[in-house]
Amino acid sequence: MSHQVLSTLAESQSLYLDPAIRDWVLIPIMVVMVLVGVLRDQITVLLGGGASTKKATLKAIRESKVLMRGAALRNYGNHIPPSSFLNRKNYLTNAYKKGDYLKNPASMNQTVNPMTDPQGMEMMMEGMKKNIAMIIPQTVIMGWINFFFSGFVLIKLPFPLTLRFKSMLQRGVETPDMDVTWVSSLSWYFLNLFGLRSIFTLLLGEDNAADGMREMTAMSQMTASPTGQPQDFHKLHLAESENLELTPHSWELNDIEHRLLSRYGKREQQKVIDSPENFIENNEKNAIEATSSSSEHKGKNRRKSGKH
Amino acid sequence: MSPFYYKTAFETLQELRKSGERNPELVVTLGGKIIYEGYTGKLGDEVWSVYEQVFIAALDYRNDALAETCLERLEKKFPKSPRVKILTGMKLEAEDKLDEALELYDEILKNDDSNIATIKRRIAVFKAKGQDQRAIEALTHYLDAFYNDAETWLELSSLYLNYHLYQQAGFCLEELILLQPQNHLYHLKYAEILYTNDNITNINLALKEFCRVLELCEDHVRALYGVKLCTSRLLNLSSSSSIDFKTISDLNSLASERLSKVYSLYSKNKVGNSNNELRQIIHDWLNESDKSY
Repeated sequence: MSHQVLSTLAESQSLYLDPAIRDWVLIPIMVVMVLVGVLRDQITVLLGGGASTKKATLKAIRESKVLMRGAALRNYGNHIPPSSFLNRKNYLTNAYKKGDYLKNPASMNQTVNPMTDPQGMEMMMEGMKKNIAMIIPQTVIMGWINFFFSGFVLIKLPFPLTLRFKSMLQRGVETPDMDVTWVSSLSWYFLNLFGLRSIFTLLLGEDNAADGMREMTAMSQMTASPTGQPQDFHKLHLAESENLELTPHSWELNDIEHRLLSRYGKREQQKVIDSPENFIENNEKNAIEATSSSSEHKGKNRRKSGKH
Repeated sequence: MSPFYYKTAFETLQELRKSGERNPELVVTLGGKIIYEGYTGKLGDEVWSVYEQVFIAALDYRNDALAETCLERLEKKFPKSPRVKILTGMKLEAEDKLDEALELYDEILKNDDSNIATIKRRIAVFKAKGQDQRAIEALTHYLDAFYNDAETWLELSSLYLNYHLYQQAGFCLEELILLQPQNHLYHLKYAEILYTNDNITNINLALKEFCRVLELCEDHVRALYGVKLCTSRLLNLSSSSSIDFKTISDLNSLASERLSKVYSLYSKNKVGNSNNELRQIIHDWLNESDKSY
């Protein structure tokens, strides 16, 4: 029995492929896929003028950048004096709450409906166009291959592979015994679909729309928020304002004189360790208290360095 | 005449473009040769950015003929591009037709209000016209959205400083410190602004910032002088009780020590009468300021 299996495997390995398969199936599939990719790139340019030409307005930029500004203040606020930090914090939290930085302050409390918002509509149309330009040619090609070349074995890979690759490489050819290195026509199509990106980059430049896979990955990310749904910036702003309010401020320069003097050997090194209880306590208090209490706390161990 | 190595010329121009360095003389010489002697075909797609670069250099260098050639070719290729329109505007500015340039920029901004280059050119026109008020307005409007543009914050702070608006200038520097906390130059400038905006809290603050500069950049001479000046001032203002005298006088003597050290090292490296003189002056100044309290 085992002898029989071995012999069939050996026979399949010496399978002879008609050169006509290479000339009339293997190469045409590839050429067609490349051409369709180029065509799709052109169609996208025609339909939408490409994604890069659409520019955000100043207000839209402002709306999203102010979020980054809040984050920057949270991260690096310790480098500026307490009063400056508090000023900025108060200003930004107020602005976030009042929606000063929103593109359209009036629409603060309504959830944005992509059907009525013209920009959301535009975005949705764009997404649809892209999807259509991607899906139609792929379905057509797949149908074409299934119709004419189903069950074809096209190439033999020059290296051995484990059995797990069988389902990937021999799609459409349901033979349990055939060696894994043989590749079926449908699998050849998938290999092309995934592998032609670098060729498109070579042909059409970096920013092309020929490659369907990028949109596919984009789509899978988008499932969280439906196609092109604009983000609700007011919610983001409110969240950021909350984050900011919880941010304590401990000034980097509180004991700078000391650090400097001990660096030049004018003072002995002193270690100040904020005990964890103290730290948590500071976090819970509001920011003004937090800053003053931390400076007081440090002041106990050293001395109060200047006044601020 | 030595043959013209166009490839090296291309590379030089490309490097200048990358680094953003403005070297109009070199660019005009190289660019003029490339354009007038017909090497443009060898540049491929790069030719357009070369045209732009040579055009700006030609404006700097007052080579109007060359500028005209570049602009014509760019306009022919990109008739609707806002980038080329900006160049046209710059040409108008160079010809001192500021109002026309302003109109052009406004028109571009009407279609695309987030065109950074245009916003900046518009501000430059305001400055050229001497309308600093409007320039400041435009700058704040721009920075409200593009808060992370460090150069613009610097520009705004220098405008405020022209009008002795130290608090506002200080605000700009605080923003810069938020953007690049490790850059000692921003700390230094902030400290100097605080010191200039004279009151006791600010001088305490300035002292801290000068110390921060010294922490970030060892023996920074300007910061040492700053520490020296601040501490001298604070020691003279002995009235307020909360100042910690020991620390301040320690800092004062530290600054003197480092300064004389730095200058003695400096004069050791470069032997010359002027250096010794300089050293003497510093020495005298340090002694004098030490005596004054």
